[in-house]
Amino acid sequence: MFETLFIGLSLTSVLLLIALGLSITYGAMGVINMAHGELVMIGAYTAVLSGIYLGFNIFAAIPLAFLTAALLGLLIERVVIRKLYGRIIDTLLATWGVAIILQQLIRLEFGMTFFGIRIQGLGPGLQQMRVPSYLMQPYEFAGIMIQPYRTFIILVTILLTVLTWFLMYRTSIGVQVRAIMRNPQMAAACGIDVRRVSAMTFAYGSGLAGIAGVLLAGFRTVMPEMGANVVVDGFLVVVVGGVGSLLGTVLSAGLLGQLNGIVSVVYNDIIARAVVFAVVIGIILWRPNGLFSFKSR
Amino acid sequence: MSNKAFLLGDRAVYIAFIVIVLGLPLLVDDVFWLNRVARYLVFGMLGIAMALSWGYAGILNLGQGLFFGVGAYMVAMSLKLQSWTSMQQGSDTPVPDFMLWNAQPGAPTDLCCIVPGSWLWIPFQAQWFGIFMAIALPVVLALIIGATIFRLRVSGVYVAIITLALVLLTRLIFIDAQPITNGFNGLTDLGWLTVGGIEFDPLMVGTYYIVAVSVCIVLLLTRWLVSTRAGLILQSTRDDANRARYLGYDVASYQIFFFTVSAAIAGFAGLLFVIVSEFATPTYFDIAFSISMVVWAAVGGRSSLIGAAIGAILINTIEATVSESEMFQQAWRLIIGVLFVLIVLYMPRGLAGLARDLLARLVALGRGKQADSAKASRNPAE
Repeated sequence: MFETLFIGLSLTSVLLLIALGLSITYGAMGVINMAHGELVMIGAYTAVLSGIYLGFNIFAAIPLAFLTAALLGLLIERVVIRKLYGRIIDTLLATWGVAIILQQLIRLEFGMTFFGIRIQGLGPGLQQMRVPSYLMQPYEFAGIMIQPYRTFIILVTILLTVLTWFLMYRTSIGVQVRAIMRNPQMAAACGIDVRRVSAMTFAYGSGLAGIAGVLLAGFRTVMPEMGANVVVDGFLVVVVGGVGSLLGTVLSAGLLGQLNGIVSVVYNDIIARAVVFAVVIGIILWRPNGLFSFKSR
Repeated sequence: MSNKAFLLGDRAVYIAFIVIVLGLPLLVDDVFWLNRVARYLVFGMLGIAMALSWGYAGILNLGQGLFFGVGAYMVAMSLKLQSWTSMQQGSDTPVPDFMLWNAQPGAPTDLCCIVPGSWLWIPFQAQWFGIFMAIALPVVLALIIGATIFRLRVSGVYVAIITLALVLLTRLIFIDAQPITNGFNGLTDLGWLTVGGIEFDPLMVGTYYIVAVSVCIVLLLTRWLVSTRAGLILQSTRDDANRARYLGYDVASYQIFFFTVSAAIAGFAGLLFVIVSEFATPTYFDIAFSISMVVWAAVGGRSSLIGAAIGAILINTIEATVSESEMFQQAWRLIIGVLFVLIVLYMPRGLAGLARDLLARLVALGRGKQADSAKASRNPAE
């Protein structure tokens, strides 16, 4: 029983990590960022590369991945998304193109393959991030097996969620972001620099994706297409939770993660994912604005 | 006045397209090449279906692969039962080879009960049943999905997300039903389509013509459909659903109808694809494939049926030409990504929009007018 809940909890935290950044960018800016998964992938590659070339361990890789992904997010916002505010379907399509570009850049080793130069840690193959052994060794505590890496993921997720909550609800920039979320024109009229705040919000959301990538790299293989699979899950969590609702995102990640965990223990992984998709479709049909959305006038 | 020029130009493109597609076997006698072109024509058909639902109805269906895949599997089941291997499993009736690999020891070698659920295959022994189901099942599914989505007035992004989730759900179901669908490997080693005693070898000019004629018919039918009264009302629901509703139109019915037509075309495309490619796999249900269709339509022009078809054919032909080496294939995907971003940003009407702008300029030049006056009079529908 505890084991099942624990599996569900760790699935929840991975889902939440991915959905957290999406929830911010989608909620605050009305941008469906299909390249979010690729930012996760970039975060994972940052961990792999910094491990190879700089000798960074996972703890040092986390801030580095945050920075890398945030800067990349800023670039994407400046070049592509800025031109598409208010055209939500077009953001979906354009960021899908961005996603392909990022994947191919990793596969082609930033184009170096054409010159016959190979970069260790890049390319189409699989990569592995090294995790310190004290995080991998399960140990027994009060008769229960504890998986330290999973616990670590859960702790980091809690920390980031609290940090995001603090930024959004206890700082002046958070007030500005929430004002933009409700009504961008009115926010601009009140003197908020909507473009600057949006760009920073997008960078922060992308940075969170980078951290999610590092943590994912610890228990999944790192490969160029790893992001494509996670972005859909992240979206479903955000949509079910309600756009722009932090609490909604947390609870819906919990709901879907536990559902996935329990069904996969009772039946199998494939059925579990199928059940999750079916539940999500039902919820969107029943409440298109999500379970915890605010009323907008 | 320039409307007349557009109409002429439009007609010229349609005629040129049909003449080239139907006349190609006279110029090319390499059957492998014809087979390749036939596949791209099928993708062109998917482009038409996408332009119909996305460009004309405003419904961004990110799960079009669902209908394509279901259509493909239905006909593949029939063709699988007709293959030589299925006949050679030591029973009176054909049994697919992979079912024997999955069967419990001692299970009777018969479709009724060799593996749980294999009875679903029994009617597919008749080839017409598979062909019928390849269109009928996508239609029924689209009716159910469309009725649920549009009656509840789900719109915009949520339609995209629901359809995306649905195609992923279907993919998982097909993979999980491994004993009767062969899971990840899909249905391979299929027999040939047989009509009136003629076997349609995929590497045959006749098979190419089945596809070519189908694409032309679908193209002309959809073109006629969007010009009917229903088609015009549909376009009004795309531009402003609420206003159409106030004017007394049942918006949902139009959306359901055209969503279903688009699904039927996708199912038909799946049917044709199996005939020319001889396999059906769960990759048809991948998100990447469904979104590729959107890319084709966007590049060709989302609000032009023939533009979307040409976009699909063009992209796939270029892809096949450059994919001789692995590295160029990867570079090509990179180019597609960049191209797609640029098109969404700067050319939302795609190649078709570009062609119309050029035509407008030519007309203006021909009349000795300024090019920008023609720009002002050009159709602002998009």
